[in-house]
Amino acid sequence: MSLVVDNISKRFGAIQALDGVSFEVEPGRIFGLLGANGAGKTTSMRIVLDILRADSGSVTWQGKPNIELPRDTWGYLPEERGLYMRMTVMDVLRFFAALYGVPEEKATREVEDWLARFRVPDYRDRKVEELSKGNQQKIQFIASILHDPDVLIMDEPFSGLDPVNVQLLKEAFLEMRDRGKTLIFSTHQMETVEELCESIAIIDRGKVVVRGSVRDVKRAMGRRVVRLATDGNANGAAWLPELEGVRLIAQREDFAELAVPDGTDPELILRAAMERGERVTRFEIADPSLEEVFIEHVGRPAAVEEERHLAEAGAKPTSAEEPAA
Amino acid sequence: MNGLFPNAWHVARREYLQRVRSRSFFIVTMVLALVGVGLALLPLGIRMLEGENERHVAVYLPDSSVPAATANALEAVLDASAGADGPDYVITTVDDPGEGRAGVRDGQLDALLTIARAADGDLSYLLYTDEGLTGGTPTAIRTAVYQVSVGDRLQRAGVGAEAGQILAPAPVEVQQSDPGAIDPEENFGARYLFAMALVILTFMAVITYGTWVASSVAEEKSSRVMELLITAATPRQLLGGKVLGTGAAGLTQYLVVVVASILGFAVQRVLADRLYGSGGGNQIEGIDLGVLLPFGAFFLAGFMLYATLYAALGSMASRQEEVQQVTGPMILVGMIGYFAAFIGLNTPDAPWIQALSLIPFFSPYLLPARTILSTVAPWEWAVAAIAMAVFLVAALSIAARIYAAGVLLYGQRPGLRAMLSAVRVDR
Repeated sequence: MSLVVDNISKRFGAIQALDGVSFEVEPGRIFGLLGANGAGKTTSMRIVLDILRADSGSVTWQGKPNIELPRDTWGYLPEERGLYMRMTVMDVLRFFAALYGVPEEKATREVEDWLARFRVPDYRDRKVEELSKGNQQKIQFIASILHDPDVLIMDEPFSGLDPVNVQLLKEAFLEMRDRGKTLIFSTHQMETVEELCESIAIIDRGKVVVRGSVRDVKRAMGRRVVRLATDGNANGAAWLPELEGVRLIAQREDFAELAVPDGTDPELILRAAMERGERVTRFEIADPSLEEVFIEHVGRPAAVEEERHLAEAGAKPTSAEEPAA
Repeated sequence: MNGLFPNAWHVARREYLQRVRSRSFFIVTMVLALVGVGLALLPLGIRMLEGENERHVAVYLPDSSVPAATANALEAVLDASAGADGPDYVITTVDDPGEGRAGVRDGQLDALLTIARAADGDLSYLLYTDEGLTGGTPTAIRTAVYQVSVGDRLQRAGVGAEAGQILAPAPVEVQQSDPGAIDPEENFGARYLFAMALVILTFMAVITYGTWVASSVAEEKSSRVMELLITAATPRQLLGGKVLGTGAAGLTQYLVVVVASILGFAVQRVLADRLYGSGGGNQIEGIDLGVLLPFGAFFLAGFMLYATLYAALGSMASRQEEVQQVTGPMILVGMIGYFAAFIGLNTPDAPWIQALSLIPFFSPYLLPARTILSTVAPWEWAVAAIAMAVFLVAALSIAARIYAAGVLLYGQRPGLRAMLSAVRVDR
């Protein structure tokens, strides 16, 4: 039985934050919630968690309405990170575990286990305020899973992390999925979504503009992408426009990216190149990237939002916070 | 997991330990305790600074017919009429009146009394002093010399040895018409001061520790730990735990200060007894369990009522700086009770004071004050207690709603309307 978000709407004063949002998440899967800032991702998550109440619509998990579910069903990593800065890592984690009814001994064991997995075992008696932002985020992740929740809801879990920590967190995600947990996360990083998620929903201005499995969403674009590189530097620039329906998306440094509408055989391009005596060094047929899907539906790239968002938050995405992990 | 406990305990425990372990808590508590001890010792200190309160009077006896023992008799009479709390008279005899006058002028002596015998045989007195006619020493001496003169006249009339007996005060036994009743005229002053002290202590505790609660909530909001908290626990649990934990920390500080002050007071009494004899120390009238127990109970309940609402208002603030602003209404309500108590202290039996003293926001001030200054009927205690319990439950429920809405509001300055709509939302 899956997590079903059915037609939820929420209004804050004059702003319609959510307008009939629906999506479905299969148990044991990783689900990506994509959207620009202010699109309604956080509000949707808060409604699923029952921190906020929707004006209309319903949320059910395994057939039960979320307002009847115990709080330890959910593990939540809010977008705005926050911990008690003056407490030690162990104390703060035990405190949150206690709120979820986890016995102290079990919590202690779990915390030590996770700190070791994140390669920071010596942090247990350090004060939270002494840790870097990236490491605080690891602690916050641990805080959200100590009570072994069925569903993990993570709001922008990767923002502000350096590549090493992004990798550690991805591994943790996959580990949780392998334990049978259901994960929902929001992000601006499309590569991460491609890597982790089976299915997604893209929200724009409070409405779901597209949803489904990653593969179906891409296929629904009605085109495929061909990446072509030839010996010469032109990469077929001279003759490509002659091909019916083929559109040049981007001329990269050493290859060309082409859109081929459904119904046109991508191999047409390969044949045309060979007929013109070009030496083909790269020919690749792929689905459109999620980035393209996002741009097509939202009208602007997600990364632009990401940069603006980071600038506002004052976070540095690639700062070397990790002391030789 | 939706009951108040055990999560409220976890929240309270964290709150209490964090606060009590903090350096600022330690420093403030110590400073307040020292101030309390200092105030308790103050009367003794003043007394010691006044140089044990001795009065020096020199006696000059130019006539040999005036017996030298007159000086001793005068000292005995002066000390007897001054009593244990009054000054201690030290009489010395001088042979040179010029020396005595010089002593009065440079402040070493309070007065020089020349006792001579007039032509008609009676004693005559000349008092040389820098004090006015109604000053302490001249008044005491003028009363005392009358007794000396009467003794002298009796002596000369030949009554002799029985003179002391004749002059001895007659014993008077006092029988009160109603021994149980405390004479208000006699004790009202001390009781008024005690009641005032309780009102001030209550007011300070409510405002200080209430603000603690509010800023603690605002801090959780500004540090963004709040979002994790409300996912893990219900607003009611968080709110209840916060009030209990902060209340316990406040109570710890309060008790340390009060116990230190009481110890200081006890030490002061023991020292005063040692130095000035039994009964020399100051005493507070009217402290007994009958007052302290209800005071304690209503103090705690009142604190919880105020603190719960403080927490709700604190949840409306996004930052520390806004806490003062949003908690303004609570300070206003506290002030009303405070001033009503002050006005009411003079007329503890006025009907409006009696009515106000049953209302939960004001009963923590007014009921103990009324108990000290007058009497409170058992039904009044019952009504006030029930009203308090009802208000507490209602306050927790309303505050939990404001809190649930408030903690997710950032940036906007929530006015009364936002608060009201938060209360109306069912969650």
